[in-house]
Amino acid sequence: MRVFYATDLHGSEVCWRKFLNAAKFYNADVLICGGDMTGKAMIPIVEDGDSYELTLSGVSQRVGRDQVAEVETQVQRKGYYPVRMTSAQVAELEKDPQKVQTLFTEQMCKTVERWMQMAEDKLKDSKVRVFVAPGNDDEIEIDEVIANAPRVELAEGKTIDIGGYEMISSGWANPTPWHTYREAPEEELSKRMEPMLRDIKDMSRAIFNFHPPPYGTALDEAPALDENLKPLHGGRALRHVGSTAVREAIDKYQPILSLHGHIHEGKGITRIGKTLAINPGSAYEEGMLLASIIELDPKKGIKNYQLVNG
Amino acid sequence: MATTTANPPRQTLFLRNATGLVKAWSTFDAFLYSFWSINLVTLGLYGMSFLYVIPDGQVLGGVLLTGVLVTFLVLTYAMLVSAMPRAGGDYAWQSRILGGGIGFVLAITGWWFTLWLWTPIYANILVVQFFAPLAYTLGLTNIATFFSSQVGVFVSCLIVLAFVSYVVTAGMETYARIQKFCFWLGLAGLVVMIGLLLFSSHDAFVSAFNREASSLFGATGNAYQATLDAAAKGGTKGVSFGSFGFGATLLLLPFLAFYLLWPNWGATLYGEVRGAKEYRKVFNAMFWGLWITVALVAIILLVIVKTIGWDFYSAANAAYWNSIYVAGSAAPAIPIWPYPVMFAGWLVSNHLFQALLIAVMGLWFFGWAGTLFLSSTRVIFAAAFDRVLPEFAANISSKRRVPYGALLLMIVPAILISLAWSFAPSIQTWFLWATGVIAITFLGTSIAGAILPWRRPDIFQNSPIARYKIVGIPVITITGLVSAAFLLFMLAEWSFSAIYGTQLVDVTGTKVHVSNPSTLVYFAGTYLLAIAIYVAARVIRKNQGIDLARIHREIPVE
Repeated sequence: MRVFYATDLHGSEVCWRKFLNAAKFYNADVLICGGDMTGKAMIPIVEDGDSYELTLSGVSQRVGRDQVAEVETQVQRKGYYPVRMTSAQVAELEKDPQKVQTLFTEQMCKTVERWMQMAEDKLKDSKVRVFVAPGNDDEIEIDEVIANAPRVELAEGKTIDIGGYEMISSGWANPTPWHTYREAPEEELSKRMEPMLRDIKDMSRAIFNFHPPPYGTALDEAPALDENLKPLHGGRALRHVGSTAVREAIDKYQPILSLHGHIHEGKGITRIGKTLAINPGSAYEEGMLLASIIELDPKKGIKNYQLVNG
Repeated sequence: MATTTANPPRQTLFLRNATGLVKAWSTFDAFLYSFWSINLVTLGLYGMSFLYVIPDGQVLGGVLLTGVLVTFLVLTYAMLVSAMPRAGGDYAWQSRILGGGIGFVLAITGWWFTLWLWTPIYANILVVQFFAPLAYTLGLTNIATFFSSQVGVFVSCLIVLAFVSYVVTAGMETYARIQKFCFWLGLAGLVVMIGLLLFSSHDAFVSAFNREASSLFGATGNAYQATLDAAAKGGTKGVSFGSFGFGATLLLLPFLAFYLLWPNWGATLYGEVRGAKEYRKVFNAMFWGLWITVALVAIILLVIVKTIGWDFYSAANAAYWNSIYVAGSAAPAIPIWPYPVMFAGWLVSNHLFQALLIAVMGLWFFGWAGTLFLSSTRVIFAAAFDRVLPEFAANISSKRRVPYGALLLMIVPAILISLAWSFAPSIQTWFLWATGVIAITFLGTSIAGAILPWRRPDIFQNSPIARYKIVGIPVITITGLVSAAFLLFMLAEWSFSAIYGTQLVDVTGTKVHVSNPSTLVYFAGTYLLAIAIYVAARVIRKNQGIDLARIHREIPVE
């Protein structure tokens, strides 16, 4: 059984399309999206008479009505949400953070819904199973959208059998400086994991799919920040920011495989006792899908594994 | 057709709470890294001590010309950082654009194998700029002569390896702190050195030189004149700073590359939600790292000319290097490398002050030397994650977080190479190619940058650099080609010219012969080794069911 695991797509439509196409491209039987699939930014495309204005990657431009769809695609490729609006609406949003939040939620759900439809269209004749476990950056509202998708399975909080291996998933993370949507203290993370861990019959055939990487490994090193969220020493100073609860669970239960994301710079593979832990990293802003391919033998466990830059 | 507008009147981007939305890293921090990588004192003064071999070259012109040409390299790297911000440098850029095999061979030779050779180079610089002048100044002649011996050089190699291993183990945060401390104190030392040379006369220098040559080294008579005479016997006489030959000035470039080629060493700094402004930030950091160094080098050169005298400085270097590399050469008046910092210190007749100045300026070494294996460790890890190297190479000890696999792969060969450097001086010409091999890696990246718009249009078109074009040609193509031409020029000079000590092939008329077979064999061997590792990995992994060719193969979007 070939598992394809990618994570932290952050709204990049190019990456999501690649993720779905990976089934055929790599001959994968199972696709797992490890969370943080929604975008971080919204770009206003401001209507001005017969044209629209927007700023993308620091470049301001004005486009005609016939080109607006094209620039919207460009914006989506980068993982941002393009939203057509008037200058008065922009001014209104500038004044009211709550309205910005509401619009974000609306855009996220709309996009995830479209992505779920895309999965349906692309994989309708395929036997591949697709799992999504939203991450700490994903608002809770998207769970329902995923749960309703016919071709994608919501993995959050569940114990799922995949080819004789039991996979448990959680997108919840230890606290970050950004106070995101699925964060909890380490003790609470342990409590969230407990029921799933209890369900597992054979840890030597278990797969952990936990968004935050285990603390104190090469998978959880991120740039150290000062109190203003500015990287220290030009971004060269790294600190461990993973979850101790995840680390303790791996140390204690020793699953055969542990899949993680969250820390884009923490691309790597490490062994924690008998566990092979993987963080494929993320380069969504380049439209590159960093991922791992894991070959699981029905009897012998992990046959081989590889990180790829799709 | 889209048109650009000058000033967006309103908020153009709404961000929500999300991981990784850090504020931009400071340009100053990135500048520091670039500035350190070039290191005008440790590498610059060492590299420029060989310029006497091209007496007709105009050094200041050469420095400025190198600065201009390296700026094209800086532009190419800044644009690659902007197009592939998280890629992690030469290895990933080349692998994605040129292919996994080429990326592996060029990166592994330039960022791993060659840095074994840099260990004794670092050690030699540590001896001539720190241990020897400090020991002589403090009257510890035995220690000074020990470090000039073969065993002493080897011990210095071990000290370098120990320091570098400590830095790798302690991590970048600790080292960044060390670097900042070294930067500010080292800069203060540099100001003192420049001030001493600026406000002293040539006569005062001649007098100070003769005084200290006698006091520290027991030289008798006019040591200043004896130095000029020793150089003249070796053919170096009356070198003028005012000499200008365009061809000769061009020939200085491969020497100056020894230090001016490295502003892009820190090109892998990263950020997120980046745009054109971020591109300028990356560029500015490297650009100012380069050009502030160029400006400081110009100042140092001018004060050397004013107070030490360019003819004497060239003569002192010639006398020193001839005594080491040219059999039968006259002994120099002082048995030590002509360190301008030491000369500046001699203008104050106080050995404690002189020692303090040398010690403070030694911080330029320690603030920089730690980077020796940091990049190599990164490349080894990346190759292990790509399954080209065994898993062991990326292993980290669980308690101390020591990357022992990568460290062993660096340290064991570096010790063997250091032994060879220390006890088999006949093979020291290998080490002169240490810059050349990295230049080959940079050449690969320059070519990768030049062809990026066609090889990976998906990446190029969606990057902030896509809008930079001149007469319809992407700017990265132009800068990549200019950088490649510059690097090719230097590689040709190193390969075919006799003046750099790196000549591999002598072409005289229709006659061609290998002039330095052992160097050629060594470097051909390292490239063959890299190719062999890659081919073996392809075969072994294929048997394990892993296709290494698919690492960088792009998944179709539609």
